[in-house]
Amino acid sequence: MTPEIGHILLIVFLVLSFAGGFLPLTSVYLNNQTFEIPIKKLAFSLFLLIFLSFLSLVYSFLIDDFSVAYVSQNSNTNLPFYYKFAATWGAHEGSLLLWILAMNAWLISFMFLTKCSDKNFTNAVFSISCQVMFSFCLFTLLTSNPFERILPIPPLNGADLNPSLQDIAFTIHPPLLYFGYSGLMIPFAIAVAAMLFNVDTKEWATYSRPWTLLSCSFLTLGIALGSWWAYYELGWGGWWFWDPVENAAFVPWLLSVALFHSLIASQSRSVFGKWSILLSIFAFATSLLGTFLVRSGILTSVHAFALDPERGVFILGILGFFVIGSLLIYSLKDFKKDEVKPYQLSSKEFGFLLNNLLLVILAVSILFGTIFPLIYEAATNGKQISVGAPYFEIILFPFALALGLLQGIALYLSWGVTSSFNFLQRLTLESVSLFGIILLVLFILFDNLYLSSFATIFLACWIVAGTLQVSKKRNLNYWNFLKKRLAVTFAHVGMAILVLGVGVVTSYSIEKELILTPGDEFEFGDQKITFQSIEDTLGPNYFSKSANIIFEDEKDISSVVTEKRTYTPSGQLTTEAGIVTEPFQDLYISMGDNLEADIWSFKVQIKPFIRWIWLGALLIAIGSMLAGLNRIQRS
Amino acid sequence: MNPIRKQRLYALIAVLIGSLVATWLVVSALSENMNLFYSPTEIKDAKVDEVTLIRAGGMVKEDSIIKDTRTLNVTFTVTDYQNDLEINYEGILPDLFAENAGVVVRGNLKKDGTFKAIEVLAKHDENYMPPEVAKLINEDL
Repeated sequence: MTPEIGHILLIVFLVLSFAGGFLPLTSVYLNNQTFEIPIKKLAFSLFLLIFLSFLSLVYSFLIDDFSVAYVSQNSNTNLPFYYKFAATWGAHEGSLLLWILAMNAWLISFMFLTKCSDKNFTNAVFSISCQVMFSFCLFTLLTSNPFERILPIPPLNGADLNPSLQDIAFTIHPPLLYFGYSGLMIPFAIAVAAMLFNVDTKEWATYSRPWTLLSCSFLTLGIALGSWWAYYELGWGGWWFWDPVENAAFVPWLLSVALFHSLIASQSRSVFGKWSILLSIFAFATSLLGTFLVRSGILTSVHAFALDPERGVFILGILGFFVIGSLLIYSLKDFKKDEVKPYQLSSKEFGFLLNNLLLVILAVSILFGTIFPLIYEAATNGKQISVGAPYFEIILFPFALALGLLQGIALYLSWGVTSSFNFLQRLTLESVSLFGIILLVLFILFDNLYLSSFATIFLACWIVAGTLQVSKKRNLNYWNFLKKRLAVTFAHVGMAILVLGVGVVTSYSIEKELILTPGDEFEFGDQKITFQSIEDTLGPNYFSKSANIIFEDEKDISSVVTEKRTYTPSGQLTTEAGIVTEPFQDLYISMGDNLEADIWSFKVQIKPFIRWIWLGALLIAIGSMLAGLNRIQRS
Repeated sequence: MNPIRKQRLYALIAVLIGSLVATWLVVSALSENMNLFYSPTEIKDAKVDEVTLIRAGGMVKEDSIIKDTRTLNVTFTVTDYQNDLEINYEGILPDLFAENAGVVVRGNLKKDGTFKAIEVLAKHDENYMPPEVAKLINEDL
């Protein structure tokens, strides 16, 4: 019965969200009270419906109801219960349900936390959000119903959750990412509502800013967790692959970062009003485009969703409807002129303009590289190509460099015109000293300096010095000054730490593949590595060969286990890497093939500063979270 | 000049420079990092030199995997059920590499008609087939 209840709740949700999608707007346009509905109550009921519907799917997973097709494809009686729970969003159908839930959570938060006097505006935001949720719900029901049954004879056991998804990071990575994606619905709805009701740039930017910041924070966390998961779970020690799925998350992230920066200028100086509207639309559009690319299967990716072209067409339809619709409103609308104070080349406004320009061009270039194989295939009648990772690296580097240089001076700039650039001297001095210190530390740690890492390391120092602005405020109030700017300090220093991590790990990593039998020892970097023994182990739903490895240097000895697991329900093979984490480096070993009796191949790597990448991302997420929450409180 | 106009001019110049640099970067980076895909049949008539990176793929033939136990060299044959292609690789194969499974490799075509792979692509899911390979098989049916 439970799946049917979930299904019915979803259908009720569909009907109510449809009503919510046009009734409030109709009542405003016809100026007729009969169509007016209590939108807060409706929002709350919608949330309850989707939440219960989601719970009923969770319940089906927990009780192993394999008559539900989705459960039987993604679970198994031997799966530990926490993974059964997480399997709810382990594939396409369930993740859509979670997505709608997330959108609804954002909508409720917006309606209860953002106080705005203009009732028409709130109604419009509610209606547009309802339209988005309605389209997602329709999509779910028509093409991807998670409650579909296998009757009359249900399978005795399920096919199991994809083994590489049976992992703690995986249980939280998708929800965070979906919250990030779906959060971009709010700025989009606000932008469209602002156009419909001629809301002042200053005013709507004030409403939009916290929600953009919060979605950006979730996106950052989601992307970082995904990268961390790929690092240890896929067993080859990479942390970013320029896979279409990663790009599909990276592009909306870049646009959301551009958007909240542009909103700062819109809110404080009424500038970039139209630009912010366009950015809101495209940030939302790219989050949908990403979904389309991933789930239609038209791009080759390591992320394997059950692929169905029909779904692709549907998502494309949703995307087209909202993008064309909002752009139509944009082009037909007579924007009233905001009162803008002029700004000079040296102004903060121009700084934000450059920031946006760089971020948007970068996003477009990455998107272009991601979909270029499709364009090429269409243009050459079926010839297939792929665009390699070097393409993205070549594009990213100069833009990241320019953005970082700008970031260093950005906080010194003033609105209108920056009267003096005296700070440059001190900023340079500070960042060069910091650069020297870091090089010294690196030399002590690794006995080596790589020229190739100098640019990124200096950039990190430049950003830190520019963020802390020690030269500007050298009095006792310095800590108060930093405290007041806690959020931006966190986020910008986080970016510097991330840049430093990327720079060091790219230049200083070493790796080697080799063949060992138990008892073998070998030297690698400053480590002595021993392959001690190999044994058979048994897990709840897998059996594995585990190799015991010892890393030894002058100071410490650590032992790790790397495994080759065979998951019994599916027969699928996975590698569990053995990782020793030290403050400045990771020692990473993963098992390869069994060549003969006890002879195994291994891949061993030393990855200096790799944790700093995720630490940096975490700080960025905390920073934007703080900024977002702060602004909600103030508004 | 009127300050608002001046401000627009600055913005315009910035946009122009930005787009030009980006276009140049995109075109040059793309021309160097575009890897064409060949099936075993297509590769027979392909005019590719030994240094151009290309991709090839198909299904791994049964009993064709030969692993050296002292080095990490491995040789296997992929097929599109019309023609075969021998592939040499040095390194650890991905977990999902198996006989009768689809595989995509990246590397160079040697003069003797064999393929030297520098990368063998792994997928998360055992049922997942690289679209290129899926297409090859569907064309045959």
